[in-house]
Amino acid sequence: MNSFPKRASIARRRLRIALPVLLIACAAFGKPPIPTTNIEAAKQAIANAERVDGATLAGVDLGEARAKLASAQQAIAEKEMVAGAQYADEARASAELSAAKAGAVKAQAVNADIKRATNTLVEEMQRKTGDRK
Amino acid sequence: MNNTNSPMRSVIAIAVAATLFAGCASVPKKPAGSEQVRAKLTALQGEPSLANGAPVAMKDAELAVVQAEISQKDLVLAAHRVYIADRKVDTARALAETHFAESERAALNEQSEKARLESRTHEANIAKSDAMVARADAEQQKAVAANARSDADAALAAASNSQQQAAELQRQLELLQAKPTDRGLVLTLGDTLFATGKSELKSGATVNLDRITAFMTEYPKRTAAIEGFTDSMGSDEMNQSLSQRRADAVKNYLVGQGVGSTRLSASGRGENAPVADNASAEGRQQNRRVEVVINQPAVDSTN
Repeated sequence: MNSFPKRASIARRRLRIALPVLLIACAAFGKPPIPTTNIEAAKQAIANAERVDGATLAGVDLGEARAKLASAQQAIAEKEMVAGAQYADEARASAELSAAKAGAVKAQAVNADIKRATNTLVEEMQRKTGDRK
Repeated sequence: MNNTNSPMRSVIAIAVAATLFAGCASVPKKPAGSEQVRAKLTALQGEPSLANGAPVAMKDAELAVVQAEISQKDLVLAAHRVYIADRKVDTARALAETHFAESERAALNEQSEKARLESRTHEANIAKSDAMVARADAEQQKAVAANARSDADAALAAASNSQQQAAELQRQLELLQAKPTDRGLVLTLGDTLFATGKSELKSGATVNLDRITAFMTEYPKRTAAIEGFTDSMGSDEMNQSLSQRRADAVKNYLVGQGVGSTRLSASGRGENAPVADNASAEGRQQNRRVEVVINQPAVDSTN
């Protein structure tokens, strides 16, 4: 029965030590700085996606990137710097995806055009041959 | 009290220890969604056409997935990492697809070029064969036209020929002084054909007979009756016989010239059908004659 109060007192003593250490740590590091780099990178990625027709070719992803950027700015305004950085990174990743998808759509469209033109030629030729025969 | 409690306490202690141990021993749980992201990445890496298409983005995605898989008490951070990893895997796929499409393009362009070339060759061939067909058609038409022209020419020639022939016939008949009568065209050959009392044709007297020959040859459907006549000098029997022989002589001459004998008949009429008075020398000369009666053919009036 004696050991319980003894243990509790040990725990309390530890807490007494840990708390000031935590507080000091917090005070020492302070709030994380505004994630300017992340925001800038996100904005640049969005601008790039817009430049390569992400708005029309991969609009969902670009829309999400814009929403994430807005969330990042909101978080930063609320001094939630970690969340702000995360949102900014997510915005950038979404914008980069939008640009990449737009590029793929374009490349595939070019190929499809070539294929269609080739098929048209071949069909035309066969039709002419058919007429002959 | 301690003794009674001790088993109970040890059970609790074991339970607590077991729980703690289990907590420590169990593999840290992966963040929600990280497994799906890993599966997406694995699928992408498993596609031969895409696996090596975007190596940088692929590496990036792989690192992000590894990050997302790290057990994380901070659920927001865990979700954030999963989100980033998911985007990066998708981005790597899109870039690889782009690369694949671009690598396919050279072959597609080659196919297109080949098709275009074939099409042109084909068109050229068609044009050539069209031209050949057209040329053949033109030549055929030319031939047809030439045929038609020559037919027309022939018809024209035939027409003018028959016209000429008709004119010639007319001319010859006029020359022979043929008289159209009920019996047909009657040609009177004067007594100059024969010497007096003879039935041999004089050598110079065949001009008129040759005209008849030509006429009969030209108009093969016609037949002719050759009739001999005399004046009243001499006996009837002698005149009858002489007229018959003279008619025969004319017929024989014509047959000798190629006129079918079946188309010719010869008869002697003696002195019984004078055309003039036997009292005068002139009248008797007119009565000594051979008449050739050319019959009109039954069907074709022109021949």
